[in-house]
Amino acid sequence: MNRNIIKIFLLFVFPLIFTFCDSKTPDQINRIVIGISADVQTFNPLFTLSVDEGAITELLYLSLFDFRWNEAKGGIDEYPMLAKSWEWTADSSSVIISLRNDAFWTDGTQITADDIIFSFDVYSDPLIQSRMYGTFKNLFVDEENHIDLKRTFEVISPFEFKVNFLPNSVPNLYELSLSIIPVHIFGEIEREELSSSEHNFKPVSSGTYLLKNWDKNQTVTLTANKRSFLYDDEQIDEIVFKVIPDYTSKILQLQKGEIDLLELVKVEDIEDIKRNRDLDIVPVIGREYDYVGLNNIDPEVYSDGKIVPNKLFGSKNVRRAISYAINRKEILNEYLLGFGELAATPVSSIFKTLFNEKIKPYEFNLTKAKELLATDGWHDVDKDGVLEKGDDELSFTLYYPAGNPLREYASISVRNSLKAVGIDVKLEVIELGTLIDYLFEKKLDAWMAGWYVPIPVELKPYWYSNLGSTPLNFASYRNNQLDSLLDLLQTKISVEKRTGTIKAFQKLIHNDEPVTFLYWIPNICVYNKRITEININPLGTVTHCWEWRLQ
Amino acid sequence: MEIAIKNKFTQISQPTATQTVKALSKRFFSSLFTLFLLISLLFILIRLSPGDPTKKFVSAQLSPELSQKISEKFMLNEPVIEQYFAFLSNAIKADLGISYNYRQPVLKVVWEYFSFTFVFSILSLSIQILFSLSIALFVSRRKNKLLSKGISNLSLFVYSIPSFVLGVSLIYLFSVVLNVFPISGLKSLDHDNISFIGKILDQFRHLILPLITLSAAGTAMFYKYIKEGMDEVLHQTYVLNLIASGIREKEILKKHIIPNAVSPLISVAGIELGVLMGGALITEVIFSLPGMGRLTVDSIFSRDYPLIIGCVLTAGVVMILANFLADIIKIKLDKRLLKGLLN
Repeated sequence: MNRNIIKIFLLFVFPLIFTFCDSKTPDQINRIVIGISADVQTFNPLFTLSVDEGAITELLYLSLFDFRWNEAKGGIDEYPMLAKSWEWTADSSSVIISLRNDAFWTDGTQITADDIIFSFDVYSDPLIQSRMYGTFKNLFVDEENHIDLKRTFEVISPFEFKVNFLPNSVPNLYELSLSIIPVHIFGEIEREELSSSEHNFKPVSSGTYLLKNWDKNQTVTLTANKRSFLYDDEQIDEIVFKVIPDYTSKILQLQKGEIDLLELVKVEDIEDIKRNRDLDIVPVIGREYDYVGLNNIDPEVYSDGKIVPNKLFGSKNVRRAISYAINRKEILNEYLLGFGELAATPVSSIFKTLFNEKIKPYEFNLTKAKELLATDGWHDVDKDGVLEKGDDELSFTLYYPAGNPLREYASISVRNSLKAVGIDVKLEVIELGTLIDYLFEKKLDAWMAGWYVPIPVELKPYWYSNLGSTPLNFASYRNNQLDSLLDLLQTKISVEKRTGTIKAFQKLIHNDEPVTFLYWIPNICVYNKRITEININPLGTVTHCWEWRLQ
Repeated sequence: MEIAIKNKFTQISQPTATQTVKALSKRFFSSLFTLFLLISLLFILIRLSPGDPTKKFVSAQLSPELSQKISEKFMLNEPVIEQYFAFLSNAIKADLGISYNYRQPVLKVVWEYFSFTFVFSILSLSIQILFSLSIALFVSRRKNKLLSKGISNLSLFVYSIPSFVLGVSLIYLFSVVLNVFPISGLKSLDHDNISFIGKILDQFRHLILPLITLSAAGTAMFYKYIKEGMDEVLHQTYVLNLIASGIREKEILKKHIIPNAVSPLISVAGIELGVLMGGALITEVIFSLPGMGRLTVDSIFSRDYPLIIGCVLTAGVVMILANFLADIIKIKLDKRLLKGLLN
């Protein structure tokens, strides 16, 4: 019996395997493959949450405007997309938008103002819970945050309409830039059932690419939409998003040429990649920073509904001393091998006009740190190596999320650095979901985490004093002067005044150092040189990929 | 002596149909109770553990109101006990709810992943049994102590290799150095443009390394069970008598040694099948396969409560079914075991 089995294997299976196990690469069709870590869960822009989902749906569904990164000014510029032109009224309380008349859905239906208005309607509908729900702060909404269509939109013709903004609001086109969905498809579906509609997976779309095939957890294949007004003959025919959860597999496939583009490449792989002449490296710095979170208020008292300063981190001298004592440059050089940038405030240097160049990160200075702590009354009275003030010891637990080697390394470095100035740090690893939960509840004294900064700059949700309305202010930082600046940014002010206000914000926050800003982490993108005219910038990697070409 | 062996079995009264139905019903209801306990405990525990599924809907670009609306929609603001009874009343109607992430019925999402896991597990278990049995027979028939010891040590070595080490090593050797198998995935990008046979072979090519990775440790384990069983049976007096009676070795193996030697293997195979169908996370991640392991872990990390329950329930059901199947096979081989089940 066993001989028979072996014979079967030798005679049939192995020859078959090797017959078909050729080492040929796929046919040289006009296609690029992009490696992604996780599959998409929807193709409906109403519900996309992950970066990859957003990138894919933006290729499927067009917006009114096309936003492009302006490297010179460090900001975004708006260009026409579905909107052919637009005109603001003198008081900027409304804008008249003219639509292109050569834009069509993939089923041949023309895109009109009805699609635009319907899109705003469903994005703001509480029954749908889209990702944009509750964000239309400058438009007329009802008590459920649903856009009041009658007051907000005036249809002039099928290709022209007017958008009215709330009086005294600060409207911008970015707020109107959402992926438009077809009314003749989604308008037929009950609102409560829209999230589970089959059309979310077989989209009737309008973008530069259309969905060709979705192999769940394997690949998402997009093919050029030849009916799109943005199409040209040199556009890449096919873009495949290949799901590869394992990082090592991704790197091997990149090196082997099975994938053409990969984001979030680790710095330790850079040297190997540099040896591959087919690959090019583009580090994008300035969208994500890591920080040591310091709770400015007492978490135990806060759980009883009261706000009192944290007995350790309520003082800005202690917070600044911690920043002086941490050798951030060493972490940057040792772990990130020089990629990355020291952070001084939450405003990134990519926003060139808004960035306050006068503010420099706290340098590594143990003497200065010790002085600040002594000024605040912290002394090592019992000579045990840990500072005391009255009955309190300068000792705390630093929580960091599991599965992030950089933060693990940095936490150890922070502990060792702070020990040198008499601060005792205990490290505790915690599951990310649990950490996030604790941060929202403001349960922790100290933690290590990171923020991905939005474009355009958004500061109020993270730093405003009203803790009830700004749940993202995990450090519970409160400063009335800073609140005034943040409030000012919500009003109609000139560009110059806005720039000045953001620079003043940076000065204030640097002075208070509510948390220790560590460094801007690079998003290292690697792509195959056969792709040309690629423009990787802080807005994203695959945005405008219809303009890429293949050699 | 052969007659004596036959008598040994004929002395046991054959179970009646009523007894069989009673035994199966008993097993069915106890399994149902186990599942009920499993999902009840799970439901309560995941809701009491830290982590909020709606927190991912809070960011500078998403409004806090969205998180609130999602909580309301999925009843997350209600007391746990109310959520539990609502869940039970729906579960009775085979409705496990809507996945928070996929925004689709849980059973639909689970089915999409389970179908792959089912095929993959059956293939892997078949390979494990086929190979372990073949090697055990090969070694037993050779009666070569050195070979036997060598294979035993090799099986121990294979068993102790972590699957991620084996998987990555196989990829490096066969995909990077030799370039004969693909690194990951279930099919080629040009899969849709090839013939039907080509499609089957394409998938076969993609599955070889994952199957080796997943099956290696199980094959080594089964080998040890079968080999030990065979050694034990081979030394039984009735086998020696059968050999002395001049009965052909092939017949002794087929009719007497294998059925007796594989008996302990069946229970282990039942458990192994259940484990495989619960998902093979490491193999799925290394080779980018769409299986239950990845789905379960992703649902846990994203606190997708209905999907967690769906995944665990599926794993529980297949584990129970696999064991049930193993029991039936064992009873089929030895009717005396039915008595044990009845008791």
